[in-house]
Amino acid sequence: MSANVTSMRDVLYEAPGPKMRRRIIIGTVISLIVVLIGLALIIRQFYVTGQLAPRYWELFLKPTTWAFLGRGFLGTIQVAVTAGAIALVLGMVLMLGRISKIAPLRVVSRIIIDFFRGVPSLLLIYFFFLVIPKYGIRMPSFWMLTLPVAFAASGVLAEVFRAGVNAVPKGQTEAAMSIGMTDGKIMSKIVLPQALKIVIPSLVSQLVVVVKDTTVAYVVSYPDLMQNARVLITNYDVLVSMYFVIAIIYILVNFGINQLSIWMARRSGTRIITRNTEDPI
Amino acid sequence: MTEDQRIDTVSSTHDAGAQPSIEHAASSAAEQSSSSVPTIEMRHVDKHFGDLHVLRDINLRVEKGEVLVVIGPSGSGKSTLIRTINRLETIDSGEILLEGKTLPLEGKELAALRSEVGMVFQSFNLFAHKTILENVTMGPIQVLGMPKKEAEEKAMELLKRVGVAEQAAKVPAQLSGGQQQRVAIARSLAMNPKAMLFDEPTSALDPEMINEVLEVMVELAQGGMTMIVVTHEMNFARRVANRVIFMADGQIVEEDTPANFFDNPKTDRARDFLDSIKGH
Ligand SMILES: Nc1ncnc2c1ncn2[C@@H]1O[C@H](COP(=O)(O)OP(=O)(O)OP(=O)(O)O)[C@@H](O)[C@H]1O
Ligand SMILES: [Mg+2]
Repeated sequence: MSANVTSMRDVLYEAPGPKMRRRIIIGTVISLIVVLIGLALIIRQFYVTGQLAPRYWELFLKPTTWAFLGRGFLGTIQVAVTAGAIALVLGMVLMLGRISKIAPLRVVSRIIIDFFRGVPSLLLIYFFFLVIPKYGIRMPSFWMLTLPVAFAASGVLAEVFRAGVNAVPKGQTEAAMSIGMTDGKIMSKIVLPQALKIVIPSLVSQLVVVVKDTTVAYVVSYPDLMQNARVLITNYDVLVSMYFVIAIIYILVNFGINQLSIWMARRSGTRIITRNTEDPI
Repeated sequence: MTEDQRIDTVSSTHDAGAQPSIEHAASSAAEQSSSSVPTIEMRHVDKHFGDLHVLRDINLRVEKGEVLVVIGPSGSGKSTLIRTINRLETIDSGEILLEGKTLPLEGKELAALRSEVGMVFQSFNLFAHKTILENVTMGPIQVLGMPKKEAEEKAMELLKRVGVAEQAAKVPAQLSGGQQQRVAIARSLAMNPKAMLFDEPTSALDPEMINEVLEVMVELAQGGMTMIVVTHEMNFARRVANRVIFMADGQIVEEDTPANFFDNPKTDRARDFLDSIKGH
């Protein structure tokens, strides 16, 4: 976890000076010690409560366990990637509506964005699971999970995109206008490319939220990592050890996403200057 | 750097003997076409920002090939004036005509019109995510639909003309202010504009870079470009301007040849202002 924190710092701030570097090293050492002590305490507690007993852990020696969890993991990835892709597109469309010159479109987009952002994603999932089928619309559990997760994220992404667009200096638009570019071209060729670079870190944090949102898949009994883990927990009575293992898997996935953001930020060669203050993490 | 030094540096870099004939050419061009339609015309233009009356009954004619310098204290409405000409600012009443045609209000027609009027900003405003070459080809490719290859050839020619051809592959942040402003001029020129507007093009530059930009502008003026230039560079105004207008509180207070205006300002306001910029 501490590695996760420092890597995020890498993305968000400029290179530190010598003093700052020393403080970072000290901070890292201290947090490592804290983490180790925490781990020791957890293991001790496990020991005290008998959670270290082989019967809670031998399950993880069986390939079938990992195959089952692996299928769940794939399910999680499928939902997260699909929901992420839909949210990116929908978020972009909503943002373009929100800043459009057509007033009714602006109002409607704004209402949708605020709704998606304001309603907890679990409530959206219940809506897809309980309400929509009442109107005779049948939907596989994959979509009952993916769509609400995507919608919730699209509201936030629309605002992330808008922050990026607002961060592009007005002079860029004026210069583009002055050479006769039309509104659509100004947006697609001048404003959006710069806005996207600015918001990459916020986009990535949002992807992390999407992954975390998928963990409520049990509501619609979609076999994601969490749901499959729950199945194993009830069948083998391995609550603590199982949650411990899949928590680590989720942490590793989100760590991977953060690493990806660092790589992307380096590649696009930008200094990250803004951070989405509404970042729900 | 004082005003006098600047006059020296600019004029010394040019062949002094060529000066009178060029000025003559420019003014005769203006005279010849004065009977025909002016390139830019403003009639009774008014504009407010909220309660602030920024342009008051502005009437102005700029003939083809004419160079007009706009001068005046901060907040007098100079930027607003030239920004209304390509409708970066809207006007409340009055009329603005380009070659006799009223400015379109919106849409494709407005965009097309803007492509015919170049604009150079105080802060350069080069497209930060594009290379220098791409900055110059953006308009021809995206607006005029010119093939990429042709646009690039033309862009390289223009970059050569303003002296930054070697920088073509860099991005704006890698260039000095003076170089960036020259690229901005090239970007405007790539659209073959009928007129060019300059809003204090040298006031964001370090002193040693001012002249390299003024040089380019002088050459443009001598080449017959119709120009409106907001600037306090008196030496530039004296050399190439056909007319100077002095603005205060949103009004054109004085209008004259550069020589008359700078040497014998008629109003107290203009005299006070000139004293204040001539240095202390
Ligand atoms: N977008 C705006 N909204 C409100 N007021 C504005 C806006 N733009 C300019 N103004 C005001 O209008 C007046 C004229 O501004 P303008 O920029 O045209 O002056 P200027 O002569 O170019 O001044 P400067 O020499 O400082 O550039 C100023 O008082 C300015 O504060
Ligand atoms: Mg100004």
